Amino acid sequence: MKRRTFLQFTGPSIIIMTLLMVIPLIMAIWLGMNYITYNNINDPQFVGLQNYIEVLSDPRFWQSFSFTGLYMLIIVPAQLVIGFTIALLLDQVSRFTRGIYLSIYLLPFIIVPVVGTLMFKQLFETSGLFTWLIQTILDTKFRYTEVSVKALIIIQGIWYVTPFALVTYFAGLQTLPVEQVEAASIDGASRWQKIRYIVLPHVSSLTVFILLISLMDAYRVFDNVFVLSEMNPIYKADTIMTYTFRTAITVQRLGKANAMAVITVIGIMIILIPNLIRTYREQVEER
Amino acid sequence: MDKVKSPIGRIFIHAALIFFAIYSLVPFFWTTLQSFKTVKDAYARPPKFIFTPTWENYQELWLRSVPENGTQIAIFLIIVVAILIGLMLSANRIPIPNGVIYLFVAFGFVALLWGIPHLVETAKFYDYFINTIIVTVGTVIVSLSIGCLAGYGLARYSGLLAVSVLIAALGFRALPRLAFILPYYQIGNATNTLDTYFLIIITLVAINQPFTIWMLRSFFMEIPKELEEAAMIDGASRLTAFSKVIIPIMWPGIISTGLFSLLLAYNEFLLVRLLAQTTWTLPVAISRFTGGEDPRHLTLAAASAVSATIPIIIVILFFQKNLVKGLASGAVKG
Repeated sequence: MKRRTFLQFTGPSIIIMTLLMVIPLIMAIWLGMNYITYNNINDPQFVGLQNYIEVLSDPRFWQSFSFTGLYMLIIVPAQLVIGFTIALLLDQVSRFTRGIYLSIYLLPFIIVPVVGTLMFKQLFETSGLFTWLIQTILDTKFRYTEVSVKALIIIQGIWYVTPFALVTYFAGLQTLPVEQVEAASIDGASRWQKIRYIVLPHVSSLTVFILLISLMDAYRVFDNVFVLSEMNPIYKADTIMTYTFRTAITVQRLGKANAMAVITVIGIMIILIPNLIRTYREQVEER
Repeated sequence: MDKVKSPIGRIFIHAALIFFAIYSLVPFFWTTLQSFKTVKDAYARPPKFIFTPTWENYQELWLRSVPENGTQIAIFLIIVVAILIGLMLSANRIPIPNGVIYLFVAFGFVALLWGIPHLVETAKFYDYFINTIIVTVGTVIVSLSIGCLAGYGLARYSGLLAVSVLIAALGFRALPRLAFILPYYQIGNATNTLDTYFLIIITLVAINQPFTIWMLRSFFMEIPKELEEAAMIDGASRLTAFSKVIIPIMWPGIISTGLFSLLLAYNEFLLVRLLAQTTWTLPVAISRFTGGEDPRHLTLAAASAVSATIPIIIVILFFQKNLVKGLASGAVKG
C-alpha cells in the first residue's frame, strides 16, 4: 500500500484523534496554568504554575494518591491470583458446564460499572443482605467508616475486574502444549510442578498483558469509587480521579482540576513509556 | 491440563466454582429481589426473602401514569418484540436478502421506541433510555466506519508512520480520561455544543478510537492480502476491493469490535456527567438514586439498576461468542 492510500484510509481516524485527544491534552496543560471557575469560564486568568504547585502541596491530593496506590497494590495481584485459579479450575470441568459458568462469571464485567456498584451497595444498605449477615454471624453492626468504605471499594473492585483476567487466562489455557504436559506426567511430575514449570511460563505473556491493563485501569478508576465513596461523609476514600472530579465539580476549581489531571498523566507515564517503547520495537520488527 | 480424578478433588473444584458463581451473582440476585419489594418490605430487618412481589417500582420508574388497559398494551408490545427478534433470528431461512430483513427489523425497533410514548405516558427514565440508545448506536456506527478504514490502512501499510500512529493510539488509550474530558467541557462551552448528542457521540468516538483501530487492525491482519490483490488485478480500485471483498468476510471481527464500543458507550458515566446537563444517559440518571434522603430511593435504585442491565444481558446473550473471542484475542480491552 502506498503512503498516499494509507493516509486516505486512516485520515478520518487520525483527524478525530488529533482534534479530540492531542489538542485537549495540550489544552489541559494550558488550562492548568489558569485560574478558572464556572464564573469566569470564558475569561480565564493566567496564573502560571501556581495551580501545579498548589496541587503538589495539597495534602488531600496525596491522600487520594496513596489510596489509589493501595487500591492498585491489592486489586492487581488479587485479580491475577483469583483469575488464574478459577481459570485452572474451569479448565477441569466439561465443555457444557464451562459455558454456563463463563456466562455467569462474565456478568460483573459487562454490567454498567455504575449499576454494578449500585447493586453492590444495595447489599450494604441498613436493610441489606450483607449488613444482616455481618450482624448475625459476627454480631457487629456494619457502619460506614473510612476503613469499611475503603474495604468495600476494594472488594467491589476485585468483583468487577476479575472476569477479565479469568477469561484471558482461560483462553490461554486452551492453547497449552499437550505433549509437554503428557511428557511431564510420564516423568512423574506432580500437579503443582506442572503448573509451576509448564502452565505459568506458558501464560507469562498474558500475565504481563493483564498486569499492564489492570494497573492502568486501577490507576484511573472512577465510576465505582465515585458511587461508593458518596456514602462516606468524610470523603477520605477518594482516589485521584474522584478527587480531581470533586475539585472540578464540587469545589469548581477547573484550572486546578486540569493541573491535577496533567500531573496524573505524568504519573502514569512511568508505567506507560517502557511499555510503549517495547511495543514499538515489536511492531517495527513485525513489519 | 489433565483432569483431576479423585472424587474429593472433583468435589472441591465444583465447590470452588459454585462459590465464585455465587460471589459473582449475589449483587444481581439481591438487587432484583429488592426491586420487586414495596418500600416497607425493602426496609424490613431481618431482610425478607418471602414477600408479595410488586411491579410498582418499575411502574413508577418508567410511567408517569398507569394506563387502564396496561395488560393489553404490555402483551401487544411483547408480541411485537418477539416477532422482530424472530424475524432477525430466522433471516437466513427467509428467501429475502438478509440486509433487507435486518433493515426492516431495525426500522421496526425504531418505530416501536418512537411509538411507546404515544401509547402510554412514559416518565423521564424512558427519555434517558432513548438518549442512551441514540448515543450508543451513534457511537458504534461512527467509530466502526472510520475505525474500519483506519484499521485496514494500518494493517496493510508497513511504513513507520503506521507504527507511530499505533503507538500514539496505545498511549492515549492508557491515559486517564479526565485529562481529555475537562478540556472537552471547555471545547463544548466555546462551540456552544454542550448537552448535545453531537458532542457526546463525537467525544465518545474519539475516546474509543485507539481501542477500535487496534482491535480492527488485528482482525484485518488475519485476512490474506492476496484476496484484495486478486480483485485489484481484475481492475477494481482499492476502495472497491475493500468494500466488496474484504468487508463481507470481516463481519465477525466488526461485530466483536462493535460490541466493545457498545459496552463503552452504554457504560460511560464521567463524560456524559460532565458534558450533559439534561441529555443524560442511563448511568448518569441512575447515579442520581445513590444519594438522597427519600426512602423510595432504595427500591427505585434497585428497579433502575435491573432495568439498565436487562438490555445489555440480552445483547450479550446473542453475542457472547464474539465477546469472549474479542477478549481472548488479547490485543486490547474495552
